[in-house]
Amino acid sequence: MELNEGMAGTGSHKTASERDEVAALESLQFTDEIRRLMSAPATDNASSFTALLELPAPQAVQLIHSPESAKLIAAPAPSPNVDDFKGSFHFPFNSELIERATRFSVFTGDGNINDNNKTNSPEPTSYNSSASLQKPVKSEPTETESSQPLVSGPTVENRSIKRKDREKVKGSTKKSKTKAKESSDDADKLPYVHVRARRGQATDSHSLAERARREKINARMKLLQELVPGCSKISGTALVLDEIINHVQSLQRQVEFLSMRLAAVNPGIDFNLDSVFTADSGSLMDSNFSGIVMPTMWPEVQLNGNRQQYPQQLHFDALQQPAWGKEEVCNNYITPENSLLSYDSGNSASLQSNQLKMEL
Amino acid sequence: MRPCNSLKLEFLKNWIMGLQRWSFSKKEMGILERKKAIKLSADIAMASARNGTTRWSRALIANAYSKHDKHLVSKGASTEYSRRIRSKKILKRSCRRIRRRSKGLVRERTRILKNLIPGGELMNEGSLIEESLDYIVSLRAQVDVMRSLVSASEVDR
Repeated sequence: MELNEGMAGTGSHKTASERDEVAALESLQFTDEIRRLMSAPATDNASSFTALLELPAPQAVQLIHSPESAKLIAAPAPSPNVDDFKGSFHFPFNSELIERATRFSVFTGDGNINDNNKTNSPEPTSYNSSASLQKPVKSEPTETESSQPLVSGPTVENRSIKRKDREKVKGSTKKSKTKAKESSDDADKLPYVHVRARRGQATDSHSLAERARREKINARMKLLQELVPGCSKISGTALVLDEIINHVQSLQRQVEFLSMRLAAVNPGIDFNLDSVFTADSGSLMDSNFSGIVMPTMWPEVQLNGNRQQYPQQLHFDALQQPAWGKEEVCNNYITPENSLLSYDSGNSASLQSNQLKMEL
Repeated sequence: MRPCNSLKLEFLKNWIMGLQRWSFSKKEMGILERKKAIKLSADIAMASARNGTTRWSRALIANAYSKHDKHLVSKGASTEYSRRIRSKKILKRSCRRIRRRSKGLVRERTRILKNLIPGGELMNEGSLIEESLDYIVSLRAQVDVMRSLVSASEVDR
């Protein structure tokens, strides 16, 4: 059954599934509205959103949802978004949404709403309406988007286009949705952002889009405020930005200063390598100091970069047991292929052997 | 928020590899050069620890590749980024209206922040904040690792 599939599919990523449910529930409510009102679409020539907005709300909803469900049928389901949200976003998925959005302006005068509803449910899209039937609508916290602060860049623009289209649609249905006072907004996970207009707020498309954008930015600013020390008490965007700028500048200056210090500490860069390998442990703070003494003899002997890998390797063998015993993440070591820095075979041989030993 | 250890480890590994490559090429270096080398390799290591998931890391690598020595950064990784950034720059330049006055405090500060974060000029405001969030975390990890290195290297003096 689609229900089980939907639940299994959305089980892995809770927040995305919540949003899916809300979105699907919204679409269900719209279809209920349509059924209730059941007036035939008056105009067929609505080829623009302005024409759409002139219609009374229920008819507009009807018009919107008939082509939408028609498109849902027509366009086969994209790969489930739940998995996509974990990491990068697929481009084909977004391009399909672009097509959908462009086709939004074309309204097919579908009188057969019931069929569309029925065919809507078995549709294995991410808006799995059948899955949402059982679950109650949860008010979405806007901060859950902060759980994924990293979003791949180029897809954001595509999604913002989708968001605006959707919001125009939802804005026209404010009258029927006055009871739903919460507004859910996430522009990062779903390609469509379903924003419900709050009571007494403007519903034209621009302000809706603007509000969605504002809320997203405010959520992120709150995160930043928590991150930067001493920022939580400050109110007001400008001052918070001030603090953030100061913090970033101080961190950058610290990096400069520390690198200068590291450069000055010993006349060889190789020194870093040895002491790092021995000093580094799980927390990076409790260095194995006894182990440092031995390798520091080496850099004074070999000052230039033409280090032999051989003595380096010997040291690593000897010192690895105590130093790396506390290593917590043995599987986190980058293999040479993973790293973006490419290096030659001489290095790779020694490092690989080191990594092999580290995985003990 | 304390940066997690895995990030620090990743950064460290990348950095060491980068430093090894440096040491192969440059035998004699003045202290300033060495500092630049260290910092550059640290920055690139931090950016590559992010593995291309954030914009600032990609921008940083692309900048480093175009400006500094090319052997530190693998060619394949950066050309795509630099291409993307170049196209974005062209687009921005063509679309931008000539409006240099930054009205309002927030605008001014946003502009400053954009200059601070690598590749920030090309981002819109929402992603800028996101990127700065990640950038701050990465910078903190970098500072922690470097500081522990310094303390470790000075212990036996």
